[in-house]
Amino acid sequence: MMKINVTINDVASAFDVDPDMPLLWLIRDEAKLKGTKFGCGMAQCGACSAHVDGELVRTCSYPVHLAHEKKITTIEGLSANPNHLHPIQQAWLEVQVPQCGYCQSGFMMAAAHLLEENSNPTEEDIKNGITNICRCGTHPRIIKAILLAAKLKNNGTTN
Amino acid sequence: MAQPTDKPKKGFSRRKFLARSGATIAGSLALLYFGRSNIRSGISQLAADVKFDAGITDFDPMLWFEVNEDNTITLRSPKIEMGQGVFTGFAMLAAEELDLPIDNIKVVHASTSTGPQSTAATGLSNSTASLYTPIREVAATLRETLKLAASKAWGVPISGIQTANGVLTAGSRRASYAEIAGQTQTWEIAKTPALRPASSFKIIGKAQKRIDLPEKIMGEAVYGIDTDIPGMLYGAVLYCPYVGGVLKTADTTLARTNPAVLSVVQDKNWIGVVAKTRFAAEKAIAGIKATWDFEPNYSTKDAIEAITVGNGVTVVMEDEGNATDALNSDVLTSEYRTPMGFHASMEPSIVVADVSGETVKLYTSTQNVAFIQQSIADQTHFKPENSQIMPAFLGGGFGRRAFKHNAIEAIKLSEAAGKPVHLLSTRQQEFQNGHVRPNTHHRLNGKVDAKGKIQAIQHEFATGSMAFLGMPVAKPLLGADFMAAGHGGRVPYAIPNKKTSIWSSDLPFQTGLWRGVGMFANTFAIESFIDELAIKAGADPLTFRMAHCGNTALLQRRKKLLQKLGEQGGWRKPKTDTIGRGIAVCEDHDTISGAIVELEIVEKKIKILRVVQAIDAGLLVNPDGVRQQVEGATMMAISASLYEEATIENSQFVQTNFHNYQVAKLKDTPQIDVLIRESTEMPSGVGEPPLSPVAPAIANALYNLTGIRLRSLPLQAALDSYYQETGS
Ligand code: FES
Ligand code: FES
Repeated sequence: MMKINVTINDVASAFDVDPDMPLLWLIRDEAKLKGTKFGCGMAQCGACSAHVDGELVRTCSYPVHLAHEKKITTIEGLSANPNHLHPIQQAWLEVQVPQCGYCQSGFMMAAAHLLEENSNPTEEDIKNGITNICRCGTHPRIIKAILLAAKLKNNGTTN
Repeated sequence: MAQPTDKPKKGFSRRKFLARSGATIAGSLALLYFGRSNIRSGISQLAADVKFDAGITDFDPMLWFEVNEDNTITLRSPKIEMGQGVFTGFAMLAAEELDLPIDNIKVVHASTSTGPQSTAATGLSNSTASLYTPIREVAATLRETLKLAASKAWGVPISGIQTANGVLTAGSRRASYAEIAGQTQTWEIAKTPALRPASSFKIIGKAQKRIDLPEKIMGEAVYGIDTDIPGMLYGAVLYCPYVGGVLKTADTTLARTNPAVLSVVQDKNWIGVVAKTRFAAEKAIAGIKATWDFEPNYSTKDAIEAITVGNGVTVVMEDEGNATDALNSDVLTSEYRTPMGFHASMEPSIVVADVSGETVKLYTSTQNVAFIQQSIADQTHFKPENSQIMPAFLGGGFGRRAFKHNAIEAIKLSEAAGKPVHLLSTRQQEFQNGHVRPNTHHRLNGKVDAKGKIQAIQHEFATGSMAFLGMPVAKPLLGADFMAAGHGGRVPYAIPNKKTSIWSSDLPFQTGLWRGVGMFANTFAIESFIDELAIKAGADPLTFRMAHCGNTALLQRRKKLLQKLGEQGGWRKPKTDTIGRGIAVCEDHDTISGAIVELEIVEKKIKILRVVQAIDAGLLVNPDGVRQQVEGATMMAISASLYEEATIENSQFVQTNFHNYQVAKLKDTPQIDVLIRESTEMPSGVGEPPLSPVAPAIANALYNLTGIRLRSLPLQAALDSYYQETGS
């Protein structure tokens, strides 16, 4: 067991956990933030994506000890201001992306990160840059929503 | 425009009773899926498609609805929201008759003790179609019941009371639904009024944003996996990794002496542990040494051999004219195969069981609440009146959750630990211990005459079962699963001589329902073969199909849909010869769905450029919801057509996770255009129909591009082998 200090969505906490446990289970079962999902446990699907010190991480395959003293952002904290949606979330609603919705937190975290790295992605950038899995087939709407989110973000027209 | 007519439902309950507890579900296991009358009609008319109903008999508005203090109304849905948008569709249907803004309607899942029960699974694309009339009726009854209560309270005749925006008025009298509900002690349930005609719809048929999306984009929607109750522990289970294997010996010493492990349960064919964290539970499972009895060296080859026309039990599904005699000379024969496939729903199977004394509460992602409750009664000592099932949002269904998955294991673990237990399958277990889509084999014989008309066609196909899992009654009764696995096996064109037979064999592992059931494989075979016949006749594939649409209402709808698809889908648009174009169509759950695919081959890889989908699903409750379903089905179909294949080597499924079970990703997304043919029929299914034309349309487009006829799925693998064999 090891004491892990992390700041999740701006809240600093300490957890006494097995240092090899995947970060995902700390987020879900210890910090009780259930928006980050489990899909494969093997860094294949991206359902568990979160940001660790600004990096996009598949938390199912990331031992908690690596997150010690780091800042984690999950879907619940994606929008820094709780009264405002992140442009990604705005676009997601506008385009009506989710079906079952299970994969969507991971996709939104990956998309938000993509926009940090590339504020004006082309369709090809999106197709090659995001390798998450959606089984309901929301693919075309995800692509459309990311293009829209980039516009919203660049025009500063987020509400 | 003519409007669909509503047939009044039978057996409307008029109980003046607000709540009930411990609802029991009658009927044997087989009936949970098929419904009693349906089995009979299935036996008596094998040739006809069986209609599935919603499996709901109780339409007491007090069971369905709750009027809340803030003047919202809660609708308890007997069907599960698995991404197909039923909550939104149901809210629209209710709002139309309730005179309440849709934002004031909340939809929740009914649990077994709080709302209307469905004895049928959520699936078969029937939720909206089958409840289109009943939900409006029960909502209209609630509206009239509120009016009746107001009329008594105010001493005015009911005819003088109006409803609008959740408010009842009579002259200067005025009260919200919530105020009237708050005052009323004894309810008199009103008679069900006539429904509002479709011509006056204000909500139904207009694009509506989905009501479940705000919480889904915030990460707040609660799926089965998100269940977290006080004192909850985590379970993990070891299942047999070999197909059809059984547990021989188990050494659980390490788990039992592990201080992190709180309970160990050894059952007939699995071993489970309970620990404080999932990580600890999974580590403990890894330390269990088990040996298994299984048939060694079983492989895909054996499954293919078993599932071959001529093997197993056969049932004739249609026999018109005399196909055998008509197929005497100049016959075209082709054989097709489809592989085994996984559902790969993103949320693995999940059950949280909370046993306390003689009762159990179950929180789970399921498509079939009734089946789980019945299975618990059959396999544990918890009678239906002592089990409560709380369904959650599903992270994908696709048929994977139509059965009981790990409910029994979770209950036994909770009983042993004396605490609630959260039991989540691993991805590997989802694949290896789920229930796979059975592989299929098809032999088609056909003959075209000099005028280019199909004179005769014979479709013989072999498959496993999809619907019989856990249904010992159905199998001996029906012989072969012609209803689910055989769905779509009949040749749906006007041809004077046709015959279809299904050959059914059991595979030594669980097989089950998969989105579209048999329609996916059967449409691949039939619509590829129709293309082969068109080419043999020297005809354009679209014109050829239209020429074989006879006079039945469904075939006329098929013809009109094909015409629309051809005209607006660019069938005759000039194209370069690096692009292949193919078409296919199917009729599924009274919906006609057709697709044109355009593709190219880039460095030996199939690249789908564009899919035009056309659908006629009768009246559309939520047109944007329908588009979403069509797009989703298209992507899942591209995935299953190009890449997906489950295989077995050394008695184990080879695929253990997404690294070796390839599914379509963003890079596989083509342009998808959806054409909707407005029609005045009753709403029909949309979740499955658009899936099935995609595989044959891709195969037909590949032929159009290359002259190569690929007759097995997945098509990318089939193309790879073609290149390998021909050294090209
Ligand atoms: S659960 Fe982490 S990538 Fe799939
Ligand atoms: S929306 Fe269901 S898996 Fe993506």
